[in-house]
Amino acid sequence: MFVVIRDLLRHNGDFLAGIVLTGFVVAMALLSFVSPYHPLDQFVAPLDVPPSAGHWFGTTSRGQDLFWLLAYSIRNTLAFGILVAIISRVLSLSIGLLAGYRGGWTDRILMSINDTFIVIPLFPILVLFYFVMRDNMSWVLLAVLTAFLGWSYDARLIRSVALSLRNREFTQTAVFAGMNTREILAREHLPFVLPIVFSTTLNNMNWSIGLEVTLAVLGFTDINRPSVGGLIYWANQHSAVVAGIWWWIAFPVGLVVMLFIGLYLLAVSMNEYIDPRSRLDRMGGQGR
Amino acid sequence: MSAVPNTARLTTGRDTGPVVSARDLRAWYRLSMFGVVREVKAVDGVSFEIRSDEIYGLAGESSSGKSTLVKTIAGAIRPPLEIVGGEIAFNFMAGTDGLHRASGEVAGQVRWRHLSYVMQGSMSVLNPVRRVRASFADFAFRHMGLDRAGFEAAVVSHLARVNLEASVLDAYPHELSGGMRQRVTIALATICRPNFVIADEPTTALDVVVQKEVLGMFRGIQREMGSSVLFVTHDMGVHAHLTDRLGIMYAGRLVEEARTRDLFARPRHPYTRHLIESLPRIGDDKLRRGLEGSPPSLADPPDGCRFHPRCSFATERCRREVPAMTPVGLDHRVACFERDRVEASQ
Repeated sequence: MFVVIRDLLRHNGDFLAGIVLTGFVVAMALLSFVSPYHPLDQFVAPLDVPPSAGHWFGTTSRGQDLFWLLAYSIRNTLAFGILVAIISRVLSLSIGLLAGYRGGWTDRILMSINDTFIVIPLFPILVLFYFVMRDNMSWVLLAVLTAFLGWSYDARLIRSVALSLRNREFTQTAVFAGMNTREILAREHLPFVLPIVFSTTLNNMNWSIGLEVTLAVLGFTDINRPSVGGLIYWANQHSAVVAGIWWWIAFPVGLVVMLFIGLYLLAVSMNEYIDPRSRLDRMGGQGR
Repeated sequence: MSAVPNTARLTTGRDTGPVVSARDLRAWYRLSMFGVVREVKAVDGVSFEIRSDEIYGLAGESSSGKSTLVKTIAGAIRPPLEIVGGEIAFNFMAGTDGLHRASGEVAGQVRWRHLSYVMQGSMSVLNPVRRVRASFADFAFRHMGLDRAGFEAAVVSHLARVNLEASVLDAYPHELSGGMRQRVTIALATICRPNFVIADEPTTALDVVVQKEVLGMFRGIQREMGSSVLFVTHDMGVHAHLTDRLGIMYAGRLVEEARTRDLFARPRHPYTRHLIESLPRIGDDKLRRGLEGSPPSLADPPDGCRFHPRCSFATERCRREVPAMTPVGLDHRVACFERDRVEASQ
């Protein structure tokens, strides 16, 4: 594992860039633990100070230090993405593996549920939930909702792999040896799909963070909990761009874009490591 | 119904009766498509016995129903395959229903412990993303009734029987050569010292040199444990080298059965004769003639003897009646009306 990471760092530019970008964002999130400010405190710093030595990212019109507030925000946003990823991975793995392995009616029922989730328009549903729940809409609830809406594509992908594993000799031998469905899925099939899951997890985080930012920018989340989208929402409320307080928008947007690109590059380079054929493709199409 | 306790295992001696006996076994593939039921009679009325401490070979060309017969005996029945009729009895299990109708508990006790199965394409029996040790633990541990340390020791000493070192346990299958993988597979199937081992074309993917070596080890293990083996391959050379008795299948039926030596020396069925005559021999530069035609479709087999359209001895009776397996000598049975003419003509 360590050797693989070292080799990837040395020879794969995408992976290196991805690690650097994501690492920067994660470091920023970790800094929030040593912040001198409480994230909900307001008017503790001078208003509208441009980036300077005293306030690296400047301050907001609400008297907050943008650097430390952004550290809290990105931490919350990352936590949201990770929580969604974990819950949706559990769902897509168990449903995908079970549907692919059992086939027949199990497969038909699970996949019709799956396809329903694929065609459901996510965004209006989440907005609807916000209007129903209002003040009770916590970030954990939102993460659970997003996870329940975000497992379906990967479940289909995992199912397709499980379908091919089902007829392999080792599966039949496992059945013959008396392993039950749970044991076969967890011990024989799970290791096969884990690399794919690893790479799709990063994409899933990108997707869920994008969704959360969008909702927050429009004010459809708990706006008092610092998040990157929430920061942009408050900046818009204070007409930051019109007032010339560009840093209030620029730093959050810049940071979240870094996170997107970093996760994307990691996912792409992981995929290349997991699927050697795409490596050959890049070298000149010998893979086909 | 319960499995025979492990202490009652058979060892040697031919007086203990057959380990496996099948009577009039019929296993068909039934597919219903758009209301039309299509039946493929892959195994249609097969009876035979496998005695203790012997290797019983099953030969026949592709699509003659060998693998279906093996699946039927192993109880690995999945739709569209259905057992339409017949009986299978094991001497380590009560009743004549075979494994496919046994309860999950009984089947669990019998499989691997008493009956193990090396599947076709056995090169891929090992999960490619798991170490060999994990495959042993997954497939065999539950059947051994040992603790972890005892199991590990048993595995290592059993691997030594097929000339493998304990270090292969830490390898992934792709790190092993084809021959090594094959030996691991054989070790995996025989670790519980089962009474009965089914091997379905286990050496087809190997070149002849490695094949000979693996078969030799297989024979050695079988002799040492006194297990009975059902060995399936279309390779008559392998049968001549390995098996004690040999059954020839054609189009879903057993057409001849005898001790391997007798069968090669005096085949009574025209199809067996063709099979044996097609074998090259050192020093014999006679031109080999192929058998005209191809095996019948099992979805619509010919009436009477299924071999009659390709048979030079065929008479009117062969077109109408199905020949039964008739004893023609010690341990020799053949399903042919013209067996005397066939024998006289060689």
